[in-house]
Amino acid sequence: MSILYDEGQQAIATESRRVLDARMDKARLLALLEQVGQHDAPFWDTAVEQGWTALAIPEEHGGLGLGLIELGLVAQACGAATSGAPFLTGGYGLSQALVHGGDAALAAEWLPKLASGEAIGCVAFAEGNAALPPKPAVTYSGGALNGVKPAVPGGCAAGVALVWALSDSGVVLVLADLAGASRKAVDSYDNSRLYADLTFAGTPASVVASGDAAHALALDVLGRMAVVTAHEQVGGAEALLYIARDYAVTRKAFGQPIGAFQSIKHRIAEMYGLVEIARANCIHAAASADNLGGTDAFLTAAAAARISATEAYDTNSRDCVQIHGGIGVTWELGLHLHMRRARSLAVECGNLVFWEDLLVDRLAGEVA
Amino acid sequence: MSDLQSYRDKARAFLAGMAPKYGRDARKGNTVEQDLALGREYMAARYDAGFGGINWPTEMGGQGLTHLHKITFDGEEMQFGMPSHFFGISLGMPVPILMHYCEDKEFVKERVRKALRGEEIWCQMFSEPSGGSDLAALRTKVEPDGNGWKMNGQKIWTSWAQYCDYGVIVTRSDPTVEKHKGLTYFWIDMRSKGVEVRPIKLAGGDSHVNEVFFDDVRVEDSQRLGAVGGGFGVSLHTLMIERYIATDSGGFGPHLDEFVKLAKRVDVGGKPGIEDGRVRSAIARNHAMRGGLDSITRRAMAMMMAGMQPGPEGSLQKLVAVRSRQKLSEMAMDLMGNEGLAFDPHAFVKTDWGTSWLNAPTGRIAGGSDEVLLNTIAEKVLGLPQDYRPDKGVPFNAIPA
Repeated sequence: MSILYDEGQQAIATESRRVLDARMDKARLLALLEQVGQHDAPFWDTAVEQGWTALAIPEEHGGLGLGLIELGLVAQACGAATSGAPFLTGGYGLSQALVHGGDAALAAEWLPKLASGEAIGCVAFAEGNAALPPKPAVTYSGGALNGVKPAVPGGCAAGVALVWALSDSGVVLVLADLAGASRKAVDSYDNSRLYADLTFAGTPASVVASGDAAHALALDVLGRMAVVTAHEQVGGAEALLYIARDYAVTRKAFGQPIGAFQSIKHRIAEMYGLVEIARANCIHAAASADNLGGTDAFLTAAAAARISATEAYDTNSRDCVQIHGGIGVTWELGLHLHMRRARSLAVECGNLVFWEDLLVDRLAGEVA
Repeated sequence: MSDLQSYRDKARAFLAGMAPKYGRDARKGNTVEQDLALGREYMAARYDAGFGGINWPTEMGGQGLTHLHKITFDGEEMQFGMPSHFFGISLGMPVPILMHYCEDKEFVKERVRKALRGEEIWCQMFSEPSGGSDLAALRTKVEPDGNGWKMNGQKIWTSWAQYCDYGVIVTRSDPTVEKHKGLTYFWIDMRSKGVEVRPIKLAGGDSHVNEVFFDDVRVEDSQRLGAVGGGFGVSLHTLMIERYIATDSGGFGPHLDEFVKLAKRVDVGGKPGIEDGRVRSAIARNHAMRGGLDSITRRAMAMMMAGMQPGPEGSLQKLVAVRSRQKLSEMAMDLMGNEGLAFDPHAFVKTDWGTSWLNAPTGRIAGGSDEVLLNTIAEKVLGLPQDYRPDKGVPFNAIPA
């Protein structure tokens, strides 16, 4: 497992950052906050054009055959830019379920479409605060889904969903074409995440995995998505660190840059510490996925990345605003884009409590 | 990687062979003097087995291997609890500085061999009552005295000085220039007339640090290391030598597994402690923090192996790990309740929560306090402005006391 980025990976990091820096527009993102069910189309066009949708899909299915390290680097750039569409993570989770799920026909049908951006995927596991409810309320019977998955990220625009449901013989992971479902957009504090309540009423769906295999696969998918999200959180937390630093060296009070006051400079140094610890955990988790995907070792690495990245992004968004003072809470400056994103990402794909429990169960040798 | 891995295996085999005689269990109940005697024996055995001066040049009596080999050995040795701590500073900074600056090579060779074998110990005398974090504020002065120097003043927090044969010291040779420009660096014989060492008993009960007093101590000019007035530069060089050392994401306290074991054993509100949300959260956060630091270490090692300079994030290790150990130790003591009130001042810091807790503040202060480390990260890594320094550009003797 590689823990130093190679030249190709460094190029992906630099290029994705460069493209997003050139194309993202804060005014556009601010406007999206007040529109329900709209995402930042220029961002998604960029993602498709740059091949980010194809990045982690196997070559035989029209993808680039790269892995979590590369996708993580792109996600980090997206996080720094508070990019306005959630499909990268959801599409990756869905495609990984198809890659590891063992239904070749389903994989052959959907993976090329996901790679080309023709199809947009989302993952509908959570119900309330349960990232992976032991007894999901959505049921699967006779080839059809029934019930509601609340506030699914990307749900307003996705064409296909990976759904965690309960069948007569236990839990299942199924793939549903959302043409057969109805959706109601959720007016949220981070609207470009496109949260929608997905209502299934006899919606046809195909089984990807069932029983213990479904549980194991769902956890692996969740772990992989958590690593992508953690990279996105690190990107956001790092952006806030440098926004705070840049402000602290230019803004003056009491005759000196505020960054000369230890209350400010120590706060910023702590922000740096949180970013670097989370980044290190992300690198370790992403590098573990190839060899350890599906194992407890991968899940604990993913949990560590997720926990430290959530702490970093939440803390840095709090502290960056605090360092700015009044200007930090204005709509126009837009630090609240990060504040909002820090929270939406913290809740999506498993909250801190979920990942802490998952981690401690494994450290204590008490996995159910 | 395979070379380093086989070196690690070799080191572990050597250490495992030594452990029955010198390891943690063998040392139990030793007085400091007995432990030091055992330590000297161990150092000689370590040297004879080819693990002394691992990354030092062969012509100086070292093994001529890389820095990575040394970190690898140190990391392994730490696991066995060998009595090598008396010699850590001696071999870490003073002796390498002597090798670099002392011109009498035969003298140096003799000192190096004896230091590696544990026959002689060197201390480093930097901190003073008037200057810890602010090193250049030091007041111990030297004045020309015939063809040499005369030294007067006081150092403090000098580790193991009471057992040392030699030491390196930075002094003020010119109070009329800016504080960091008037310093000069020497080595001295700790048995010189006028040197007095007084141990300081620390909160944890041990006395490994000392005050050292100098009363008209005669120093030859041949004992000078670096130029007159160049002492600050030599001091920075001294501190840089140990920039990449064996780290411990547990903050040199107990492993997280010990906490998990404790949490499983104790009862909280009628349930095993491991089922308590507060306990679980502490375990998870600590694991994530330690995992991040370990990953930073692995990446730094990989970068050094690839001939690159490791990133500045390595400077987080002590800052983050030791203060976390302090809090986790408090929580462990809470979980033990009155069973944890019994205290053994000689318990090992990596296995005993009380000892870990009581000695944690030392770790947060020695070798750069948390606040100094935060300043360093803010200024050197992130480019934030220096603090307001009223003594800047002012001759030392014009700084208001």
